[in-house]
Amino acid sequence: MTTLSQRSPSSEFRLLATPLVLFLLVFLGFPAIVNLIYSISDVSFETLRQPRISGLSNFAAVWNDSAFWQASWFSLRFGALTAVLECALGLFLAIFLSPLIEKRSWLMAILMLPLMVAPALVGLMYRLVLHEFAGPVPYYLWTWFGASFSFLGPTSAFWTLIVVETLQWTPFALLLFYMAYQAIPSEIVEASAMDGAKRWHKLWYIELPLMAPTIVVALLIRFIDGFRVFDNVYVLTGSGPGGSTASLSIYIYEAFFKQGAIGKAVAASVILFVASFAVLYGLNHIASRRKGAVK
Amino acid sequence: MGTISLRKAGKQYGTSEIIRDLDLEIADGEFVVIVGPSGCGKSTLLRMIAGLEQTTSGKLLIDGRDVTTAPPVERKLAMVFQSYALYPHMTVRQNMGFGLKLTKLSADRIKAKVDAAADTLKLTPLLDRYPRELSGGQRQRVAIGRAIVREPVGFLFDEPLSNLDAALRVDMRLEIAKLHRALGATMIYVTHDQVEAMTLADRIVVLKDGRVMQQGTPHELYETPANLFVAQFIGSPKMNVLPCSRSGEGRLDLSGEGAIELPLASEAAPVQIGARPEHLFLVAPESGHCRGTVEASEYLGGNTSVFVRNPRLGLINVSAVADSPFRIGEAVGIRIDGARASLFGADGSAIARRQAA
Repeated sequence: MTTLSQRSPSSEFRLLATPLVLFLLVFLGFPAIVNLIYSISDVSFETLRQPRISGLSNFAAVWNDSAFWQASWFSLRFGALTAVLECALGLFLAIFLSPLIEKRSWLMAILMLPLMVAPALVGLMYRLVLHEFAGPVPYYLWTWFGASFSFLGPTSAFWTLIVVETLQWTPFALLLFYMAYQAIPSEIVEASAMDGAKRWHKLWYIELPLMAPTIVVALLIRFIDGFRVFDNVYVLTGSGPGGSTASLSIYIYEAFFKQGAIGKAVAASVILFVASFAVLYGLNHIASRRKGAVK
Repeated sequence: MGTISLRKAGKQYGTSEIIRDLDLEIADGEFVVIVGPSGCGKSTLLRMIAGLEQTTSGKLLIDGRDVTTAPPVERKLAMVFQSYALYPHMTVRQNMGFGLKLTKLSADRIKAKVDAAADTLKLTPLLDRYPRELSGGQRQRVAIGRAIVREPVGFLFDEPLSNLDAALRVDMRLEIAKLHRALGATMIYVTHDQVEAMTLADRIVVLKDGRVMQQGTPHELYETPANLFVAQFIGSPKMNVLPCSRSGEGRLDLSGEGAIELPLASEAAPVQIGARPEHLFLVAPESGHCRGTVEASEYLGGNTSVFVRNPRLGLINVSAVADSPFRIGEAVGIRIDGARASLFGADGSAIARRQAA
């Protein structure tokens, strides 16, 4: 007697997975293949349907473009710095605000507000507030303290962007860390108190190690998000001054739309894709090796 | 040393009083078991002694030193939690050595102490494992090991066996008793299981609604309960409580049933007789103190619990010999062993009987 349950599990698996696989092939696989073809072609908007294969010349163009390396360096620094700052600040707030949030949970909703605002809008808002001639912040700095400070000038634009990004995304880290902090079983913390742990010991030996997996995940998510930043930076500083705040996303966007260099833009995204895949693969490898140590 | 005393200790959460004016003196090396139904405040009491809960009134002294407001570490007590509360990111060795590490003891000394404790608890082969790689019983032993390496003045156990299966519970019970004999340290053990209380304790403290109902050796509590609550809480199966009235000097009437000759020490009128199932005997219907019909019987191997229904006295549990000939629906008589029965007044407190000369 053959019943459904006796059918081999792999055939059932294939049957059930088919719709998803088809969906992915059509909507992700097709554009990916087209992109791969464009990246090795000489192509413009007029010749989109007849790309002429030109080997690796697009990759060479990208590779030799100093703007590409400048943008990569910007994205890397921006992603790493904002991820570390957001996680450090989020961790600090999660631990020190948790007694307050426990009692008044609506505080969390208020703390989450920055996450609800569209990043482009945040960029626009700061662009107005920090504007050298019309913005209120430089105006009052000048009238009250006699200080003239160009927030979006060549020396400070990078740090202004870092601060803006950190202010907007710290609540995300705070949310993750607050959850992880609340999930630590109280008996384990009490056991450490019986063992003689003071506040600092508890944090260092018990709470932080138990939160470590969440911290790694938050750092990773924030790094990826910061690395491919586009909207708030684009709105706040364009890519200036002098291309100094062009992220990789902005570089690709400008190559594509402003220079019409489709092949170059696509080649840059392929490089980005391969690079991020390599990073992810490496992290995954480390994580699976570490799994033995952390629950 | 390890004397612990509570003087009029109390614990209040807002307006609700969990523990009220509790006095308790625990001698060095004593094994005290605190029992009570859930919600009686026994875990709160233990956590107050540990320092994990603030004592809101009264005093707590350890070895004569006032530690009412001292943090847990200064009390030099160790606690074994119900959930074991092992540090999941540390190996067994790190778990056991954590407290010592915080005291800045040298790594060699920590290793020596952990090895010694692991040896007594048969944990040596498990020292490099993580808690999640251990069984429940092994985790429990690690939790105990973590407590003993610190050489505390007293041990606190918070229902340590309730997460284990029945067979393991019996083994661990014996091991804890053995540990107490070996270490000779003061131990306070909280449980809702009166069997654990009876088997482990030098002294049992019965708690109800934050008050001590009675304290004494298991034998005292079993033979001379101070009130109905203790009488029914200690002992399994539960003591039968039968309404009665005084019908003359040394005579009690069982609500319309027979009379029992019982010498009383005072003029107080008992209204209830407490008789344990093993102190009742099934006899022919006409020769007992009361009668009834067999409603159910539970064969337990060594003996049989026979439930006899009497319209005025309710359901009476009699412990009969295993192959008792009584069948369900049959009319039987029950004879009460008057010498072993307890008497209770209207307020539920026990009434003393004149000592049989």
